[in-house]
Amino acid sequence: MKKIWVVMGIFVILSGIPLYPQQEHFRRFPPPPDPLQELKLPPIASALLSNGLGVSVVSRENVPFMSVQLVVFAGEVFSSGKLPGTATFAAGMFGRGTLIHSASDIDEIMESIGGTLSVAVNQDYVLVTFNFLEEHLDQALDLLSQMILQPNFAENEIASIKRRTAYDLIDKERDPQFVGKRTLLRLLFKDHPYAKQAFSSEVVKNWNQADLMDFFDRYYRPNNAHIILTGNISLGAATRKVSHYLSTWRPQDIPPVFPLIPKPPDKDKICLIDVPQAKNCAIYIGAAFPTPTVQERFDLTVLNQILGGTFASRLFMNLRESKQYAKFAFSEINFLKDGGVFFAQALDVNPQTLIPAVQEIQREIKALTGEPISFQEIEQAKSFLMHHFPLEIERFNDMGARAAEIKARDGGDEGWNKYYEQVKLVDAGRVFDAAQKFLLQPFYIVIAGDKNVLFKSFIDFDTYDVYDNKGQFQYSVTKDKKGALNEAR
Amino acid sequence: MFKQKRAIMCLGLLGVLPLAVVTGLFGQGSSPFPVIHYKLRNGLEVILSEDLSLPLVSVAVAYNVGSIHEPPGKTGLAYLMENLMFSSGSANIAPFQHFNFINHAGGQFNGVAVEDKTLFYQTVPSNQLGLVLWLESDRMMSLDLNEASFEQQRTYLLEDLSQRRVNEPYFESFVAFDQYLYSDFAHSHSLLGSEDNIRNLTLEDVKSFYSTFYVPNNAVLCITGNFNALRTRELVARYFENIPPGKDVPQSFAPLVYTKKPIVASFVDRFAAAPAFHMGFRMASPISNDHYTLTIIDYILFRARSSRLIRRLLNPDNKIAYQVSGGIEQRKDRVTYKIFCVVNTPGMGDQCQNAIFSELDKLKKIFISDDDLARYKTVFRQDYLGRLSTSMDKAIYLCESYLSLGNFDDLPLELEKFMKVSPNDIIPFVNRYFTVDNSVILNVKTR
Repeated sequence: MKKIWVVMGIFVILSGIPLYPQQEHFRRFPPPPDPLQELKLPPIASALLSNGLGVSVVSRENVPFMSVQLVVFAGEVFSSGKLPGTATFAAGMFGRGTLIHSASDIDEIMESIGGTLSVAVNQDYVLVTFNFLEEHLDQALDLLSQMILQPNFAENEIASIKRRTAYDLIDKERDPQFVGKRTLLRLLFKDHPYAKQAFSSEVVKNWNQADLMDFFDRYYRPNNAHIILTGNISLGAATRKVSHYLSTWRPQDIPPVFPLIPKPPDKDKICLIDVPQAKNCAIYIGAAFPTPTVQERFDLTVLNQILGGTFASRLFMNLRESKQYAKFAFSEINFLKDGGVFFAQALDVNPQTLIPAVQEIQREIKALTGEPISFQEIEQAKSFLMHHFPLEIERFNDMGARAAEIKARDGGDEGWNKYYEQVKLVDAGRVFDAAQKFLLQPFYIVIAGDKNVLFKSFIDFDTYDVYDNKGQFQYSVTKDKKGALNEAR
Repeated sequence: MFKQKRAIMCLGLLGVLPLAVVTGLFGQGSSPFPVIHYKLRNGLEVILSEDLSLPLVSVAVAYNVGSIHEPPGKTGLAYLMENLMFSSGSANIAPFQHFNFINHAGGQFNGVAVEDKTLFYQTVPSNQLGLVLWLESDRMMSLDLNEASFEQQRTYLLEDLSQRRVNEPYFESFVAFDQYLYSDFAHSHSLLGSEDNIRNLTLEDVKSFYSTFYVPNNAVLCITGNFNALRTRELVARYFENIPPGKDVPQSFAPLVYTKKPIVASFVDRFAAAPAFHMGFRMASPISNDHYTLTIIDYILFRARSSRLIRRLLNPDNKIAYQVSGGIEQRKDRVTYKIFCVVNTPGMGDQCQNAIFSELDKLKKIFISDDDLARYKTVFRQDYLGRLSTSMDKAIYLCESYLSLGNFDDLPLELEKFMKVSPNDIIPFVNRYFTVDNSVILNVKTR
């Protein structure tokens, strides 16, 4: 009898059953998911006013807020070559005073309607987001129309914005992550207007009222903008309201500015950005690419998910979890109006593991172009993207922002109600093709950190360029046949 | 209304409910916010709130435990325990896999330990509700507390503590200020604990803390979002009903006795770059009408861009403070009002303190105008409703409300009570609590 118990005991241990003898069987395994529910988002209904202003509505009931998103195609690409950052400057001044109300008055009006205003700028467009309690739609549109039609670019507000922007940039220029990404964008776009997004703190002193007013007058036009209302309102009602407040906004012809995306370097190009005193370093490996088709955008999105979209993707699992080379390791794909940018990044990298970290990122990127991806990994990535999508638009203004982005990028229902459908269609073959087309090219490899600390690691590279933390080229280093390093300015 | 009746019928059909409450929050004319509340046999409070707008569901589990429950000499336990809940694994879930399961499901999660509660919350696609209940029940029932995970988390906590000392100027002064503001050990020690205490903790201490406080009869489970109430009740029963309850949980603290005389002290902060000061006032219990008045006063003083202390201290034309923060702090039944101010010189500190008392004096003597009060209340209303914009927000709000009040009786009309605060309520309140005699000031000096 005793023998039987001993045998049973051994069996229990070997079978890995935990020491919870009365545990119910269902606790041992995760329950299978129920069928995925269909995604039913309210349609984005659109109309065009006679002055060229596009109006869209995302109707949502039972929410106490309304959100107005104004897209103006006045991103950094439109800043003058001599004054990069003007678009950011103009956007920063939005809402900082009108002919009737001072900035401080506007703060109080905002408070009285439960409102918040935020402005974001990217290469292509400016996104103004104005949220408020739903009963104050008229006051909100009235205030917004004053900001657009009667801005007052007061000297004290200009000085304040310049001061804040300069301090902010100077502060960020001590951060390898910020400096590394900014330099990568500059290198990728060279003389293309997209490079203007990567301006440094030193340009801020050149900003002035006359250029600001000129920029605003030129680009803040209804035929260069789109307004999206999210909340308990119909398209008809929204069109009437917007027309009432913004019908006097006069259109004007706006010249397009989109030269071709520059070609990549002939071979991988290594750049060291000196960030004095930085404890750790940041690695960016990236490339620009021409405009993908709608289908290719989804292929690239799934590809990015596999490579470095989340904490469970290859880069993080390899560089952080497995090898502990970096605290964070991700990849990103940014789709722009003209082309796009792909980059992999490793952050908080210990200088001693810099070289193996770079090599691992390169290996992971190369693997996507040379090795087939398993069905399971593809499906896992697709599953994450589909399941996570509702979370990205759950917050009220996020739904409006998503709709605004679709309008800004001339997108359609594929980024909205047909999102699931599009992701489902992606397969291993399509991802492989996308990798071949977009990733099989030389990359810029940007490493930002303290030059004096990183110097030893860079001995392994045959040639590299050195920049300061403002992004100014300092010198090139080349290894000769005997292994000696030569500097050239 | 139909949905509420249907929910009651469903719950009745299951026939095992000792308690079922269905209520709609936010009163007449507001958005419907249906809540079903019941209790399992093991004492676990369950709150369900449906919102079918997106295919998402959030699950929050709140434990009625925080640093105020730590015994003397064992500080840091609550914070350590929160980390162990993620890292340790449990009977059926390997270490760190909670995170992986949620991530693979496309969800997001987090956890937080504060002085009086510990919360874990996640949002996943609706079809993965069973997964989250499986994960949460497993760590409530059978957390795998072992030497390896305990040592690892203790090391992380000690590192965290030393990093914060160096990287967060004034961190030490915040800890010191609580010792002046609160009169008892439970409330006056830091959530992160002291290094000595953390080093002396044992695995047995952790196990004892877990078995005392991380039990169903000391927890609230809240599920919000897109789910079927009947099926959800079945899942909750399946995963949580058989978790054994713990012993009665000790929750009583010594009654608060404050002497009515001002406290002024000073503290040298090794890592502070500029002088600063903390100012605090001890307030009424959160379970009183004074709570509504204090909240609106907080908006008058601090929460809006046009708030009086913000404009007085940070006026661009006459800026006397470098940085200001403040607000209400509630730790169970203790409520305080805290202000923290960084200045350029010690003299500016005096100037700021005088300015604060001067603004408070105005509030004591002069009725706030209807327009100003309406504006501050609108900002409050915006924040209040904004805090409920996602299913996770709602789950956290419901858990916190239940832990704070022990019921939902006042919630349907809660917003209206805030909106009814009048100038007549404000003057006596400020005269009662915002006095020099009731103030605690800690002047922070640089080394």
